[in-house]
Amino acid sequence: MSEVIESKILRHRIENIGNLPTVPDTLRKLSRIMEKQNVSLTEVASFVQSDPALTFRILKMVNSAVYGFPGRIASVSHAIMLLGLNVVKGLLLGVSVFELMQKAMTGLYEHSMGCAAAARIIAQQKGLREPEEAYVAGLIHDIGKVVMALEFTKAYEGALALAETGHIPIMQAEKKFFADNHAALGGVLSEKWRFPKKLTEAIQYHHQPRSAALFPLETAIVHLADILTKARGLGFSGDQVVPIVDDTAFDRLELSEGDIIYIFQELEGSIEATQEVML
Amino acid sequence: MIKITPDKLQPGMRLAKPVMNKVGMALLGEGTELTETWIARIQDMEMEGAIYVEGKLEMEIPMDEMLAALEGRFQSTHGNPRMEMIRSAAEKHIRKLYE
Repeated sequence: MSEVIESKILRHRIENIGNLPTVPDTLRKLSRIMEKQNVSLTEVASFVQSDPALTFRILKMVNSAVYGFPGRIASVSHAIMLLGLNVVKGLLLGVSVFELMQKAMTGLYEHSMGCAAAARIIAQQKGLREPEEAYVAGLIHDIGKVVMALEFTKAYEGALALAETGHIPIMQAEKKFFADNHAALGGVLSEKWRFPKKLTEAIQYHHQPRSAALFPLETAIVHLADILTKARGLGFSGDQVVPIVDDTAFDRLELSEGDIIYIFQELEGSIEATQEVML
Repeated sequence: MIKITPDKLQPGMRLAKPVMNKVGMALLGEGTELTETWIARIQDMEMEGAIYVEGKLEMEIPMDEMLAALEGRFQSTHGNPRMEMIRSAAEKHIRKLYE
């Protein structure tokens, strides 16, 4: 078996994501804006508006039924006012990595959209004030996989193959090839882009929610949303089998079987809307 | 509405959305019933994105197949009560889709 790719190398690639040749121009520019200490609403809005395709996608995403504001938001500034800068930044990241995700792993985008919708449904069920934050966390929880699959294609293919033949979760298979897993690397990227701690924790610990010290509830939501999306068989995340749910996280959410059936039902409705967004 | 790739089109399917060319011109309108000729032309075009046809995707997969796939996804979590609850919820949900 090939050597395990060191943490130092992995993190270096993430740090330099703005210069990677595999990363499209839009994402590179977006990355530079996100890294700024105090990026303003106007800066983000004018960046998005300078790119018609991006504007179209983000408004479609915001307005889609998945998102719950049908046909009411017509400008990027309005979206930021309503949803907050962090949510819009997350959505922007989600729509700009769409092609990359498709290239990295077939089905990863469908999985991410499913997880986003499931996280929003659970957040609403639990009465969280900002369910769209959970949506964003679900949307980009696997961002680490994108970087791994694009930058270390051979090694990641190895991990995927091992997950399949060994009937083990992809998270476990990654260990044989990489010093850090996709969740940890996603967390690094989230910090680099100055996402709020709530989002970083949810990404970083979506496979080990009990490590989330500050936002255990939000992290538990993304953890379960990920598992339910896999249980329903939406998209493909590298897992052939559903990973085992964390006891503490599951119990924290206090969901009955009926509640879970309700989540699946709601998720079904969002699948069609999800496909619209991806056009 | 189902989203499919041009190679999966079958005669008799009805378009749920217009088929567009690269510059966004509608070539076939919503509601068009696809014939073999139309399908061949669509397949000859360099399409961006997918085709939307009417219907429900899941229903094309027999329920038994869906349930078998579900069983496969949960093969390594037998005996875990929480996973059993999730599996059972998913099964009930899938059965309901076919009612």
